[in-house]
Amino acid sequence: MNVRNNMALKVCLALILLLVGLTFFGCAGIRSSPEGGSGGVVADGVLFLCPTLKQAGGFGCTSPQLEGKLVAVDTSNGNRLWEVSLEASGPSGGGYGCAPSTTPVAIYGNPAVAGDLVYIAAYNGRIYAISASTRLSQDKYVNEANPQPVIGGPAVVGDRLYLGSADGNVYALNGASLEEEWEFKTGGKVWSTPAIEDDTLYIGSFDKKLYALDASDGTKKWDFETEGAIISTPLVYDNIVYFGSFDRHLYAVDTGGSLKWKFMADSWFWAKPVVYDDIIYAPCLDGKAYLFNAESGDKTNEFDLGSPISSSPVLAGSSVVIASEEGKVYAIDTGSNQLRLLSELGEAVRAPLCTSEGVVYVYTGSQNLYALDAESGATLWSITIK
Amino acid sequence: MGIGDIWNLIAMQPMVNTLIVLTHALFNNFGLAIIFVTIVVNAAMFPLTMKQVRASKAMQALQPKLAEIQKKYAKDKQRLAQEQMKMYKESGVSPAGCILPLLVQMPVWIALYQSIMRLLAVIPENLLGLSDYLYSWPIVFSTLPLENHFLWLNLATGDMLLAILVGGTMWVQQKMIMAPGADPKQQQQANMMLWLMPMMFAFLTLSFPSGLALFWVTSNVIRIGIQYSVTGWGGLVKSAPKKETDKDKKYKERIAEVEKAPEGADIVAPSVTQEEGLSHEESGSERQDRGGGYQKSIRATRRKPRRGGSHRRKGR
Repeated sequence: MNVRNNMALKVCLALILLLVGLTFFGCAGIRSSPEGGSGGVVADGVLFLCPTLKQAGGFGCTSPQLEGKLVAVDTSNGNRLWEVSLEASGPSGGGYGCAPSTTPVAIYGNPAVAGDLVYIAAYNGRIYAISASTRLSQDKYVNEANPQPVIGGPAVVGDRLYLGSADGNVYALNGASLEEEWEFKTGGKVWSTPAIEDDTLYIGSFDKKLYALDASDGTKKWDFETEGAIISTPLVYDNIVYFGSFDRHLYAVDTGGSLKWKFMADSWFWAKPVVYDDIIYAPCLDGKAYLFNAESGDKTNEFDLGSPISSSPVLAGSSVVIASEEGKVYAIDTGSNQLRLLSELGEAVRAPLCTSEGVVYVYTGSQNLYALDAESGATLWSITIK
Repeated sequence: MGIGDIWNLIAMQPMVNTLIVLTHALFNNFGLAIIFVTIVVNAAMFPLTMKQVRASKAMQALQPKLAEIQKKYAKDKQRLAQEQMKMYKESGVSPAGCILPLLVQMPVWIALYQSIMRLLAVIPENLLGLSDYLYSWPIVFSTLPLENHFLWLNLATGDMLLAILVGGTMWVQQKMIMAPGADPKQQQQANMMLWLMPMMFAFLTLSFPSGLALFWVTSNVIRIGIQYSVTGWGGLVKSAPKKETDKDKKYKERIAEVEKAPEGADIVAPSVTQEEGLSHEESGSERQDRGGGYQKSIRATRRKPRRGGSHRRKGR
C-alpha cells in the first residue's frame, strides 16, 4: 500500500509541476498593458524616437510604466541630445483592482516632423506637438468626449495633421493649434497610419475597408472592401495603392478604387511595403519577403527569412533592408535581387526601420537603438533608450 | 519542439481557433462564444467534476469522525496522522480525490484563459502574437479582430457588476459545499474561506478583462447546478433540526459498535461511495433538507475476507 501511496504522491507532484510549467510557458508573451515602441524618424541629423514602456510583474497584477517620452539622438555619434517626458493623465485604464489608474502613454506610430514641431500620437488618445528647439509641448485628446487609443502614427501635409483613432474616426487637425478641422467616421477601429498622395488620404479600418478621402474636407471618394480588417499602412506608388489585409492578401488598388491585383500569403502583411524601380518589396508575418511587379502583380522572387517580419523595411542606397522578428537584418540588392545577411542583432525587432544617408536605424525590443551601415552591416554605434 | 510548442499545438491553437469560428457562427459575438465554449468544456469535464463533488461530499461526511479523532489524538500528531489515513482507507475516500480532478481540469482553464487574453487583442502586441496560433482557414482570418462588446460589457476591461456576479456566484457555490462543522475552529476557517475566495476573485475580475470574468461566472453557474444535483442547496439552506428517527438511533448504535470494536476486528464502516449510492436511492426529494452535511444513514457492514486481506471498494 505504501508503494501505491508513493506512486499517487509522485503523480500528484508531477501534475503540479506540469501545471506550474504550463502556467509559466502559457503566460509568456501575453501582455495586459500597451508597451508601444515607435520606429525613428530623421530630420536635420537628429533622430526622434519614442521608446517602449516596460511592465513589471507577472500573472495577474502588473505594474506598467505609464510615462512615455520623446528622445532626440544625434545621428552622427549616437549621443542623446534631449528628451521630453509625456506624463500619463486620464482616461482611466480601468482603475479597478490592480489595473493602472491611467492609460500608459505608449506610442506605436512613428513621430512626424514638420519644421520645428514633432508630432506624436499616443495610446492614451492624445496627440502631442513638441518643439524641437524649445522642448515646449502642447497636447490634447483627439476625441475629448470619448478618448480612444491612437495606434497609427500621424501624417503631416502642409499645415495639417491626419490620423486615425480606435474610436473609428479619421481626423484632420490644425498643425499649429491641434484643433479639429474635419472627421470621417468608418465602420470600425482605425489602427492604420494614413498615406496621402495628390490631396487624397488613404487609410484602412477594422471594418475591412480601405478608404480614399478628400484630404481637404474629409469627404469620401471611394472605399474598397476586403475580407479582413486593414491595419497596415498603405503605400501609394504610380497611381496604385498597396496594402495588406487580415485576409492574408496584399492588395493593389488603383487610385480610382478598382482592384489591380492581389496576392495571398500564409499570414498577414503587417508591415508597410517599399517600392523601388517598379518592384514591390512586401514582408509578411509568414517569414517571407515577397517581390512583385508593381503593375502586373507577378511575383518575381521570394526570400524566406525564417522568422515573422512585422517591422517595415527601408530603401537604403541600392538595397532594401529588412529585419526579421528574431533580430536578423537582411539586405536585398535591388540590382541583382540577391539576399544577404547584414547583421545579426539577437534582439527582437518589431518597430519600423528608419534610414538616412546610408545608415539604417534599428530599435529593438531590448530597448537598444543600433545604427548599421547599409552596405557593410557594421554597427556604427548603439545606445539604450528607455 | 519545446514544452511551450507542444502546449501551443495541443491546447492553445485548438482553443483559439475554436473560439474564433464560434464567434463567427454566433453572430460575430465573442461573448456568446466564450459562454458556449465554457459550457462545452464543462460538459466534457462533467465526469471529473462529478467525481470531485462526490469526493468533497464524502470528505464532508467524514468530518465529524475526523473531528473526533483530532480531539482524541490532539497531543500525538503522528498517531493522529495514522488514524486519519486509516479512516480514509477504511471509508474508501482519498483526499486526492478532491484535488486530482481539479488539477486535471486546470490545463483546460489555463488554455481558455490564455486564448481569451490573446483574442481580445486590445493592444497590437497581442494581436501580432495571435498570428502564430491561427489555422490557415479563411474564416479564421476574416473574423479577426473580434468585437469586444457584449451586453453592457467591454470584454477587454474590468467591470464592477461582473465582479459582483463572480464573487456572488462563487460565494453561493462555496456555501453549498460547506458542511456544518463539528469543530468550531474548522468552522471558523471554512467561514473565512467562504468570504476570502469570492472576494479575491472579485478583485481579480476588476483587474482582468471581462471576457475572462464571463468565463468564471458561467463556470460558477454550471458548478452550482452540478453541486445542486449532488448535494441539493447544501449549506446554503439552513435546515431545521430534525427529530431523531429510529434510523438515526440505529446509525448511532452502529457507530458506537465500530468504535468499541478492537483494532483489526472484522467490522468496518462502509465505503462512502456505497453509502452515497444508498442515500441517493433513498432520499429523492429529501436531498435538499440535508444541508450539505454528512449522511445520517451510514450502516456498518461486515467485511468479507478477501485474498491478500486488502479492502476493496465495490464496483472497482
